[in-house]
Amino acid sequence: MTQVKLDPVEQATVKENRLQDTKELKKSHKKPNRVWQDMKKNYSAYLFLLPKLILFVLFVAFPVVWAIVLSFQEYRFNGSIFIGLDNYIAVFKSEAFRIALKNTLLFTVVTVPFSVISALVISVMIFGLGKISQSFFRSAFYLPSVTSMVIIAMVWRWMYNYDFGLFNYFLSWFGVEPINWLGQSATALWALIIMSCLIPFGTGIIMYLASMGSISQSLYEAARIDGANSIKQFFHITVPLLKPTTLYLVLLSTIGSFQVFTQIIMMTGGGPGSSTETLVHLIYKTGFRDFEYGLASAQAVVLFVIILIFSIIQFRVLRHDE
Amino acid sequence: MKRIWKKSTLLLASLGLTASMLAACSGGSNEEVGDADEFKGTITIWDGPRWPDEDDNKYHWLESKIAEYEAAHEGIKIELVQVPWAEMGDKLGVSIAGQAWPDIAPVDISGSSVSIDHIEQGVVEPLDAYLTKEEKADFYENALDAYSYDGKLYGIPNSITLHTMLLNLDLFEERGVTPPENGKWTYAEFLKTAKDLTFDRDGDGKTDVYGFSTYILPGYYEAWPFFYKNGGSPLNEDLTEFTFDDPKVVQAIQDLADLKLKEDAAPETLGGSDVGGTFQAWANEEQRTVAMEPWATWAIGSAQGAYPTNFMVAEYPTGDSGESVTIGGVGGWLMFNQKDDANKKAAVADFMKFISSTEEQFTMAQHYGIFPARISSSDMEPFKDNPEMARAMEMSDQVVMLPRHPEWKKIDEAIQTQLQLVFNGEKTAEQAMADAKKVVDELLK
Repeated sequence: MTQVKLDPVEQATVKENRLQDTKELKKSHKKPNRVWQDMKKNYSAYLFLLPKLILFVLFVAFPVVWAIVLSFQEYRFNGSIFIGLDNYIAVFKSEAFRIALKNTLLFTVVTVPFSVISALVISVMIFGLGKISQSFFRSAFYLPSVTSMVIIAMVWRWMYNYDFGLFNYFLSWFGVEPINWLGQSATALWALIIMSCLIPFGTGIIMYLASMGSISQSLYEAARIDGANSIKQFFHITVPLLKPTTLYLVLLSTIGSFQVFTQIIMMTGGGPGSSTETLVHLIYKTGFRDFEYGLASAQAVVLFVIILIFSIIQFRVLRHDE
Repeated sequence: MKRIWKKSTLLLASLGLTASMLAACSGGSNEEVGDADEFKGTITIWDGPRWPDEDDNKYHWLESKIAEYEAAHEGIKIELVQVPWAEMGDKLGVSIAGQAWPDIAPVDISGSSVSIDHIEQGVVEPLDAYLTKEEKADFYENALDAYSYDGKLYGIPNSITLHTMLLNLDLFEERGVTPPENGKWTYAEFLKTAKDLTFDRDGDGKTDVYGFSTYILPGYYEAWPFFYKNGGSPLNEDLTEFTFDDPKVVQAIQDLADLKLKEDAAPETLGGSDVGGTFQAWANEEQRTVAMEPWATWAIGSAQGAYPTNFMVAEYPTGDSGESVTIGGVGGWLMFNQKDDANKKAAVADFMKFISSTEEQFTMAQHYGIFPARISSSDMEPFKDNPEMARAMEMSDQVVMLPRHPEWKKIDEAIQTQLQLVFNGEKTAEQAMADAKKVVDELLK
């Protein structure tokens, strides 16, 4: 390899140019400038985002940061006291927290797969229907999502009523003795799980239907030409291509299940005993009944970390490989 | 001269020391009392629904008092926030957490809305400076005690409640069962009555009416007088020891649970958590599936009004102790922290006294199913035309108050959640109270 020899003037010019390039490169890597330039360039977009950003900071970011700060304090109205990790130690030593965590995990592990899979199955069934029927079922299945959980819980409480509830009425047809669904430790949590499973996952159905609509029909045609039947097409085309939607829905329903609260407070109050105690209900009781805001914040932070870990695991397992 | 100066200095110093010690001991009793007439502004008061007027407005009593007070005090506006009773505790809890409390709210200080911790932290204002000795002397001692902590008064009591047994006399008549004479009975008599009142009305082999029912839920004490029937209490006198595991208490708990588990004289829902459903089973004309239930005195008003029932008031049955016991409660108005605004404090206290006067407590007693906390209101005989309320009032001397421990809410939950397991047959009373003891002992440490 031959090297081109430059005269001293040219060498000086090249050196100066390189120095200039390096300076510009360094300049362009200065983050604030880039961010500032970007903001200046897209100021209208940032202006549109500003109201939402202010609301986010006020009502989400600030409370989260405040909760973390509180979790290291014993909250008092006349001046809180910093107590280090005492609240966290109390959380991990607490029998009530352990029971609530166990119940919440069981609730999540059963309801999340059931909700997501049932949403997928219902979506597949609806997708093949005509436009009008599809719209009807889409609306019908989405209805529970826009209905207050308080109302739904009240209706289900009646359905589980020992004396005149719907479930015991059906059981009586088969000569089965009535069950005290919400009054026995053995059945109370399962009654709540069954309720959550049987309420259609409206958001999931809508999202699956939208995603199915975007799958190219040519893939199915090619599969049919290759002799793949409907089941093979479903498992080898539909399911893999819906993976990003599935990931999103699993994350969404996992977070929702970990935060189960309304059904508990409306239907069982965590009882009988502690059989239906869940994490958010425990946090609520600790904060607003026992007024131990520091401890409640520590419980909330631990719940946040648990959800985060679950989300990371789900993301890694289900992420869409490019 | 030097000696005299030395002596004077010493005297002054000792006088100063004595004065400062006296000031410290007085605990702020010489706090500046403002002038209510000087205050101009808004006072916020929360209240729950009370008795309805002809337009079914359940806030009409307080609204009329507000209008009267505002007319007499120019520049003062009183804002009423209507809060359903079921939400009062939660709403107060959230408002205390956010330090956005009202000026006045109706609170049973031993309940779950406001704790002793809050008093210690200054969330609730002491009221001693606004009530004279003579004014205080007009309140029943136990009512004042309920609102006193560490020698100071933290509220104006406006009502006393207790629990009674309510007996549906139509069902007694239908079964030919004689109700207890003067409402007094032993547990054995109660048990026999409950069994006699349990029957299959239509002959389909299923029980249609049960003798007795109640519910078990943290913060509710309808069933608790049964647990006191042989003597005993949840904590010992100096609140250092859990005593509900005493064999006589354990036996009393098991006896009541056995009404369902062994005697079949109570429905499956006995000891459940459905408060509304339990009341409907006794009071609703379309149900009437339970003949006897224990309730606080508000239910007497309800059974005379919204749910007209042919009923009588009875005492809780007696056990080994031979004495009937009931759990009592005291309601009243609290003033929340006013941030050193002395004039506003005085105005708020003035309004609290205005709505807690002898006449107002008399009116409340007549219409709202509570007993007055003022002796002068009771002297006006609010129940002379209401024999059921008068009978309930006679039970005032049987009242036992719940222990006033700072951790009571947690202790209560530890006991009540275990009681739920006894009543659904998952644990014996002995096992349940032994398990409750483990939790309560930790809380009492």
